[in-house]
Amino acid sequence: MAEAAVAVPAAAAGRRFRLPKIDPYAAIGLTIYVVFFLVALFADRIATHDPLEILFDDDGNLLSNVAPGAAHVLGTTNLGRDIFSQLVMGTRNALIVGVSAAIVVASLGTLVGLVAGFFGKWVDTLLMRVADVALGIPFLPFVIVLAAFMGAQTSNVVIAVALLLWPNTARVIRSQVLTVRERAFIEAARVTGSSTWRILFVHVMPNILPLTFLYGSIAVGWAILTEASVSFLGFGPSDSISWGYMLQDAYGSQAMSRGTYFWFVPPGICIILVVVAGFFISRGYEEILFPKLKD
Amino acid sequence: MPRIVTRLLHMLLVLWAVATILFLMFRLMPGDPTLAYIDTTFSAEQRQQLLVMFGLDRPLHEQYFIYLWNLLQGELGTSFHYKRPVLDLVLSVLPNTVVLTFVSLLLAYIFGVLVGAWLAWRRGSWLEGVVIPSVLALRAAPEFWLGMVLLATLGFGLGIFPSGGANSPGATFSSEWARIFSLDYAQHLVLPTLTLFLYLQGLPLLLMRSNMLEVMQEDFIMMARMKGLSERSIMLRHAARNAMLPVVTAFALGFGGSIGGNVVVESVFSWPGLGRLLVNAVAGNDYPLAQGAFLLITMFLVVMNFVADLLYSALDPRVSHG
Amino acid sequence: MPEGEVVGLVGESGCGKTTAARALTGVVPANARIAGGRVTFGGRDLLAFGAKDWDGVRWRQIAFIPQSAMNSLDPVYRVGTQIREVLRHRGGLGRGESDRRVDELFSMVGIAPERQQDYPHQFSGGMRQRAAIALALALNPRLVIADEPVTALDVIVQRQVLDTFRDLQVRLGLSAILVTHDISVVAYACDRVVVMYAGKVVEAGPVRAVLEAPSHPYTMGLYNAFPDLGRASGTLVPIEGNPPDLRDPPKGCRFAPRCPFAVAKCREAQPPTVTVAPGHTAACWRLDEAPQLRQLAREEQTWLRSSTSAA
Repeated sequence: MAEAAVAVPAAAAGRRFRLPKIDPYAAIGLTIYVVFFLVALFADRIATHDPLEILFDDDGNLLSNVAPGAAHVLGTTNLGRDIFSQLVMGTRNALIVGVSAAIVVASLGTLVGLVAGFFGKWVDTLLMRVADVALGIPFLPFVIVLAAFMGAQTSNVVIAVALLLWPNTARVIRSQVLTVRERAFIEAARVTGSSTWRILFVHVMPNILPLTFLYGSIAVGWAILTEASVSFLGFGPSDSISWGYMLQDAYGSQAMSRGTYFWFVPPGICIILVVVAGFFISRGYEEILFPKLKD
Repeated sequence: MPRIVTRLLHMLLVLWAVATILFLMFRLMPGDPTLAYIDTTFSAEQRQQLLVMFGLDRPLHEQYFIYLWNLLQGELGTSFHYKRPVLDLVLSVLPNTVVLTFVSLLLAYIFGVLVGAWLAWRRGSWLEGVVIPSVLALRAAPEFWLGMVLLATLGFGLGIFPSGGANSPGATFSSEWARIFSLDYAQHLVLPTLTLFLYLQGLPLLLMRSNMLEVMQEDFIMMARMKGLSERSIMLRHAARNAMLPVVTAFALGFGGSIGGNVVVESVFSWPGLGRLLVNAVAGNDYPLAQGAFLLITMFLVVMNFVADLLYSALDPRVSHG
Repeated sequence: MPEGEVVGLVGESGCGKTTAARALTGVVPANARIAGGRVTFGGRDLLAFGAKDWDGVRWRQIAFIPQSAMNSLDPVYRVGTQIREVLRHRGGLGRGESDRRVDELFSMVGIAPERQQDYPHQFSGGMRQRAAIALALALNPRLVIADEPVTALDVIVQRQVLDTFRDLQVRLGLSAILVTHDISVVAYACDRVVVMYAGKVVEAGPVRAVLEAPSHPYTMGLYNAFPDLGRASGTLVPIEGNPPDLRDPPKGCRFAPRCPFAVAKCREAQPPTVTVAPGHTAACWRLDEAPQLRQLAREEQTWLRSSTSAA
């Protein structure tokens, strides 16, 4: 009882942006994010080898398809590269793609949703038509064509993902703004003569930020998946190691027919973990946003 | 009626906008603008013919109208690589993509709806703690990776299923239909279908579950209990029937989306479909073919969005009997 | 519960009327628990019912008219189909018989039979409530429980629907429980009235007797809080405050915290239920003073918060 009483003020103070501690899914998701973030940060120290270095044994023989062991935690590729080191370095790339795409998608979507919902009229109609068009474009084919034509750079994949994913966020934010706009405190702010931009950013914005985070955390997973697909199909950047690149390498080198599971299973597991973490966190948010789903 | 007309106009607007974006995209590529239709290996005569057909010697805005006019007539140019009309090429692989998409989507939705409804009914049991994380993990897995794992285990490992293609090399068939309904084709279909199935079943399952949970809170479900209707009848006739509405819409949307989304799975299994054609065309700088395949994929997506909308109104009397 | 009569169950929202009514159909939320008391129907104890017993009673003997037929009718089936479902699955009627019965039920409640092809959303509010009455009468039940059947309607439509209900009840010799918070509905459509407060019956008796000579302060208060019947001045006087949290009811008389006439005793012990006239009971410590309290209760001043300490 005493504990609960102490906990209340802290919880109430930061409630809007705080992840619910009770939700085990959200806790798992956050833990996964933190672990991958740390791996990405210290990738240079964790990796045991240069991920692209071709390794030979003392007798000068190529260390091809070495099974996992003490020297090579996850074994080596058919060209004698250390798989564990590739996996660790790939984390960095995955997080850069995921987080930067999420930031662009969430901010673009929020901005468009805010403006469309708040100003209404022709602005709204125009922006929502543009969103319809963006949703009418097939996602992966578009990213492939764009990556192929604009050059195989990570930034182009991020741009392509952002160009097609913002409408989902924008639509949800827009409808949220439409309801918030009608609430009494907005009316009060208007009556007391607050400027439009002040109302928008000081009064409306805080009410939709949780949604922005929700769609941002989903976009992280989407972007990583998309980057992996694009790399797998051979349209990814060739100068950096990513999980998609590893899988393409494994596929192209017949890892499946050789049964070298230690090569192509770990990158897939890593992708699943990061994407699932996004799902779990968004689930946690959903329980704050739509409490009726709980019971 | 007016609703259908507005939706139709809306669909045409989106199609036009996408066609325009595509025009600009392929025109603004680095290099020679005539590259979009003319390859260096073409003969002078062919060059001249294509220049006139696509108006490549004229200003950009005229090219645009010629492009739209050609699109309306289904004229998409000639593939650099195959030296055949793009339209013929894309239409020849279309059945493979449609069969693969439709079969896996149908299986995924039947499975998802049944299991989702069942999970909602048995809400709170230990099963939830196992099934939901597994479903989420399958949705989070890259399709091509699922394909690789299946290929390694069931394809190469057990050797039951062929590893790629749609037909065994050298197999001949009396007609396209005979090919699609052959045992050989079915065997080739299993692994790609299973891959897509595993990936696709999550959405209908989770959707059905949450819809069911929501519908089960409705007053009319409690009324049905008061009426003394059997639990079976309440679940199937009332709860599931209402919860199905958004799932059916999602099926139509999923069909449109998967045609393009199959790109990677088709590549893993060398399945000769639209997506693989697109990837190969892009990789080989076969611009007319890439543009044609992209347009067809887009058309599927946009038309299925329209169909989803119609389906929803047909199934929900609140919309159809407004 | 006398046969062939309409009993009004009246009280403010959140005081357990709906819960009580639903408990009678054996459909309660999973978190509900029947704590005590007895419910008998036709000489049998409903609380001791198993699934099989309920199957014989539900809708065949006890039917229900919901507050909002909009939410209680399945939106994706035609209204006629939903009545037919009950007739065929619960009444065991054949196709032809059930079609005829639907026609009959529709004309009984005053809806053109061809409207059975409509979906619930195509009906007006009044028609939906009529359809709900038709649905309830489908299997000739012995008891109909109506939970706020006309609350969502405007006053004129309320009258029409209540007339239909009353007319059919008399014609078919039905027993009915009419749950409402609106004492004017009770006055209009009921034979007997049971007044509930915070899950307890505070007063019960014939409508005329209870409304003309309310014995419990809560009944007096309700009387003031509604138009049509009320006081000469025509102003509405609400009872201040809200019903208590039923998970933690106050000690003593549950109405005491809001009662302008509460005395020390009221806060200590629950008053017993006393018969004040034949068939008319009430549970209040100050029943002897009822006539004087009635006088006071007509004064608007009595119900204002500041005056509560006066008594």
